[in-house]
Amino acid sequence: MSSKQNIDDSPIDFAEEIIHDYKNSKDEGVLKCVQCGMCTSTCPAARHSDYNPRDIIERVLDGDKSILNDDLLWNCFYCYTCHSVCPVGNSVCEVNQILKQIAISNEIGYDKLYEYMGFADSYFTAAIGAIPEIFFEDIKKDVPGWWEFRQNLGEIRDELELTPPLMPSKEVIDEVSKILTITGFKEKIEKIRSSQEVSQ
Amino acid sequence: MRDDLKVGVFLCECGGNISDVIDLDRVREELDVEFVGQFENLCSLNGRKIIRDAIFDHDLDRVVVAACSPISHEKTFQDYVKPLNPYLMDMANIREQCSWVHDDSKKATNKAITLINASIEKVKQSDAVDPIYCQTPDEVAIIGGGIAGMNAALSLARQGTKVTIIEQSPSIGGHMAKIGKVFSPVKIAEECGMCLLNPILNELVWNNNIEVLTNAKVIEAERRAGTYNLIVEQSPRYVDIEKCIACGKCAQVCEVEVPDDWNDGLSTRKAIYRPFGQSYPESYVIDMENCTKCGECFRECNMKAIKLRGKNERIPLQVGSIIVATGHKLFDMNKRPEYGYTRYDDVITQSELGRITGVNGPTKGKLLKSNGEVPKRVVMIQCVGSRDEKPDGHKYCSKICCTVALKNANIIKHKNPDTDVVVCYTDVRTPGMFEKYYKHTQENEVRFIRGRPGEVVKKGDSFIVRTEDTLKGEFIEIEADMVVLSTAMEPSDGTIEIAEILNIGTTEDGFIKESHPKIKPVTTDVQGVFVCGTAQDPKDITESIMQATASASKVSEYNYGGVEIEPFIAEIDKEKCNLCGDCIQRCKYKAMSIQNDEIYIDPMACTGCGKCLIGCAHKAITVNGNIDEKITATIKGVLSKKQPDERTILVFLDNIGYTAADNIGVNRLSYPESIHIIKVISVNRVRPKHIKYALENGADGVFIGEFPGDLMYDEVERKVQRVKKTLEELNEDPERIAFSKVYIPYFTGLARKLIDFDKQIQELNEAES
Amino acid sequence: MKNVPDSNILLFRSCLVSVEYPGVESSTKFVFDKLGVDYEISEKQTCCTGLGHYSDVFTQIDTSAIGARNFKIAKNLNRPNLVMMCATCYAINKKSVKLLNKNDDLRNEINGLFEDNGLKHLTYEKNDLLPTENIFHVVDILYGKKDEIEKNIKYDLSEYKIATHHGCHYCKVHYEDTIAGFRDPNILDELVEACGCKTIGWYDHKRATCGTGFRQRYSNPDLSFTATADKMNALDEEDVEILIHLCPNCHIQFDRYQHLISKRENKNYKAIHLNIAQFIAIVMGGDFNKVIGVKSHTVPIDSIIKELKEVK
Repeated sequence: MSSKQNIDDSPIDFAEEIIHDYKNSKDEGVLKCVQCGMCTSTCPAARHSDYNPRDIIERVLDGDKSILNDDLLWNCFYCYTCHSVCPVGNSVCEVNQILKQIAISNEIGYDKLYEYMGFADSYFTAAIGAIPEIFFEDIKKDVPGWWEFRQNLGEIRDELELTPPLMPSKEVIDEVSKILTITGFKEKIEKIRSSQEVSQ
Repeated sequence: MRDDLKVGVFLCECGGNISDVIDLDRVREELDVEFVGQFENLCSLNGRKIIRDAIFDHDLDRVVVAACSPISHEKTFQDYVKPLNPYLMDMANIREQCSWVHDDSKKATNKAITLINASIEKVKQSDAVDPIYCQTPDEVAIIGGGIAGMNAALSLARQGTKVTIIEQSPSIGGHMAKIGKVFSPVKIAEECGMCLLNPILNELVWNNNIEVLTNAKVIEAERRAGTYNLIVEQSPRYVDIEKCIACGKCAQVCEVEVPDDWNDGLSTRKAIYRPFGQSYPESYVIDMENCTKCGECFRECNMKAIKLRGKNERIPLQVGSIIVATGHKLFDMNKRPEYGYTRYDDVITQSELGRITGVNGPTKGKLLKSNGEVPKRVVMIQCVGSRDEKPDGHKYCSKICCTVALKNANIIKHKNPDTDVVVCYTDVRTPGMFEKYYKHTQENEVRFIRGRPGEVVKKGDSFIVRTEDTLKGEFIEIEADMVVLSTAMEPSDGTIEIAEILNIGTTEDGFIKESHPKIKPVTTDVQGVFVCGTAQDPKDITESIMQATASASKVSEYNYGGVEIEPFIAEIDKEKCNLCGDCIQRCKYKAMSIQNDEIYIDPMACTGCGKCLIGCAHKAITVNGNIDEKITATIKGVLSKKQPDERTILVFLDNIGYTAADNIGVNRLSYPESIHIIKVISVNRVRPKHIKYALENGADGVFIGEFPGDLMYDEVERKVQRVKKTLEELNEDPERIAFSKVYIPYFTGLARKLIDFDKQIQELNEAES
Repeated sequence: MKNVPDSNILLFRSCLVSVEYPGVESSTKFVFDKLGVDYEISEKQTCCTGLGHYSDVFTQIDTSAIGARNFKIAKNLNRPNLVMMCATCYAINKKSVKLLNKNDDLRNEINGLFEDNGLKHLTYEKNDLLPTENIFHVVDILYGKKDEIEKNIKYDLSEYKIATHHGCHYCKVHYEDTIAGFRDPNILDELVEACGCKTIGWYDHKRATCGTGFRQRYSNPDLSFTATADKMNALDEEDVEILIHLCPNCHIQFDRYQHLISKRENKNYKAIHLNIAQFIAIVMGGDFNKVIGVKSHTVPIDSIIKELKEVK
């Protein structure tokens, strides 16, 4: 396959966009990549799938935005091993997260989030992080005794004399929902929701 | 008093270069001095007689030569004014900075008169001073007895200089002695390293100009105008080198066995030992940390060379120069535990591989694993600790590891053609002729995989090297039974210690920093201290030797040429000084120190920048040569005959800025006549009071230029900011002061800045009127 | 070593600890009490958003705004030292503090949102908290009290074969702050040693992820459990009986799914899984039901620890 770089192409803009993202903690790290492959050498996803962190940076530096549509992007474990060893001070793990946020803000990859709307709901309505109920059936099947344990959680916590209670107060929940409204979280979630309804 | 001095002005026509634009007749008329002469070519040999005769005939005290730039001919005219002191002459630059930059004859003539008047005022403030001449003692200390130190020593000794090598370990030889083979990219062959080293070692031993102190290190150093007083501490050898004949019987009876560091711990040695076969001094040594003092060796020695008692000796040494050749050490593999070096015997470093393949090594040159078998596959991992910005890593490339890996891969292939050798690399760096050796290595069927391995793990009897083959884009696990790590070079402990003791600047990586990486590659920021070898940065044997001989040559310049120093340096009034030490902290040139309860200013280091003056609460420091007064007088001279409608801008530049300004004229560009350039020895000597004086006495603007490479740049920039601030507080417009970077080749930029500044000042004037 | 506080601590509640391994919280409190650590738990504090954040549902603004609220709570209680039981809470909060201090745009954006919407009391001032001075994991605090731990040992667990699993989000996200290594992480090994026991030290994949990978466990279970199996197989080869954790999410992956992965790999893994706080609490004599919370474990603790032997 061949490709052509036209005189007006500016592939580095893509990397610049990533560098300026709030999430990026590595300054110009992405520009310093020499494709040594140490990230891939230590990557659990590369070991067991076609995910290749080195290749992600190569494509970013090529300005190849098709990567935003690449399903493989979603194989990253967020284990930060690449981030902790990268010899030039880049972090593919962060770049991956930024790419996904760019994808989401471009309404790409919404379908990847549908199953995780439960996190959004529990946080928005109860100010608590909780495994989405959508997965409960799988967990019941995969983990013997888990459902029973969860039914008895209250008693177990009582026996351990844990205070304060699990659920936050209404004031706390109100404040948290307000924060998540003004940051644009609520609006985004509603948008993802409606796209989910359309798709179903 | 000074006003009564008789000044003579000599005008040079410069074959029309000056006189075509400047009306010298009018200049002559307007000058009010004892003598004015005009000549066609003052710099020609006739000039000497003309000037000298006028000095005698008119009994002149001071001379102003109005001609070309002092950059061109100051030395000439300093010579021509004999018998006057050379510093009683000043040049008014009416060529590069007047006739060559201005077209309007009338205005140029006015400016020439102003420039000459400024020089007249300045020269009246000049005093006769003599250049300081320093002769350094021609003894030299070389710290470190590796290949760099040995070569520097030999070079100097052959030139008749007395050299003392101070070596920390029991033998000279350094890393090269244990390296096994070296290779030549031109011959495409590996050669015996010891065979190349030994003649050097022998010559060094037999050279009467060289003394070798082993088991020794510098613990104190004191500097005085080109003389260093060093205290060297030598720990005892417990074996008399005069008596020992190195027969080795002592070691045979010694029962203590400890890892042999010369073999990188791959074999053992006794507590009494000889570091290696060709070590010098040719004598055994006792490692007292491990000695049990059983006395067996003592009883065995026929030569009665062993003395179990001994203590550290302090040896004072006085030298003129020092060469630091303290070398490097290798990266500590505990810092990259994922490669398993500390866990597995057959994960080794290239240095250890060098010992294993060396005929004088632990396996007598056979490539064997720890279990005695020949490895089937050796995987080499490059850049371990180099090109790595993570904690404890080094951002730099260690430069030699690619070629070392190639060399060792070839040696393996020569010995065991069936052993598969794989080099995992990020880039193979084989510049110049080394590329041929890389090709040779490929011909030897060494394999190269482009990828930086993540980890090495043991699976059963062999290792798994996990890496990506980046050219294929594939994660792979390479099975291997020996893994060799190409570890980074880092500054040795001795390098770090000596930098502290001698107060030499180091790089962020801890190597000794040269004063300029391009043009001063062997001098350090301390006068009389030079550096060579891997103490300065990673390099190979060839480069170490080149730098060693270069540093020897620099030392010879000192020894035979002496050093002539401009006399305008700081001086301390011991009565006023209370030894607060402020000046020591302030001095960027490390010229000040306390010695014998007095501040001592090293004339070789002081540049006369005057920074020390600021903090001296007791005004105990002066800088020779009336610099302050001369600057004030020059300003006064420029402004004395200023017309009300005239715009005058003063531009202060040091040697670099002044050369850039000359270049404007040389290239026949122009700038406004309002620009008057004043040359100062250091821009830092232009003090706030000078700027204020100028503005109060009619200057419309002040422009200060400084080369950003100057050590004082930041200082000057801050100072200008401060002055601007005070001006603002005094309701003056801070825009009347400008600070700018100057570069010699960027004279067009300077011209533009001067034009812009003139315009800015013009607008300010218009706004205020 | 970095300066680790033992007072003015806000013990940061974790969503996964609360509902999956509440015994980690009670054990941490038990151990902190024994060691004289001054801490408090706030009912106002909400969880770090980590699960949602790393499922890409929360943006950095969402997470750091929630973080700013929690930081204000800590500040108002005069307990500026946030101490986390979960590796992800640790990483998330440390990153938010770093960003809020360093990135003026982000801080101004969040503060602007607060001010415009009646939440001025949550405004974060630059350097309100410092990432290295105020943000810790429980293991850091325990490490600072290593000598005290040694003095409180009641039971001897040294006969068990013990290995450690260090959570990625403790070790590798802010690696420059990690105590005792991140390439070969050892803080848990050193803490186990402080309890008079030895660990097996390095094993293959020691520094690797537990395999949870946030969305991987639920949306990509094959990938997730294959990665976990790498580690479980390596531990099995070393015959490990107790695996020590510092993160409830890793804990879930190993304890809850050991059974499933055993079947997938056709192995019979036997290791039990304890958080370091639970392990130290056992050594110090904490009750299995009232402190350790063994009922929440899927792999029964008593399958390995059948009886306790007092130290001599």
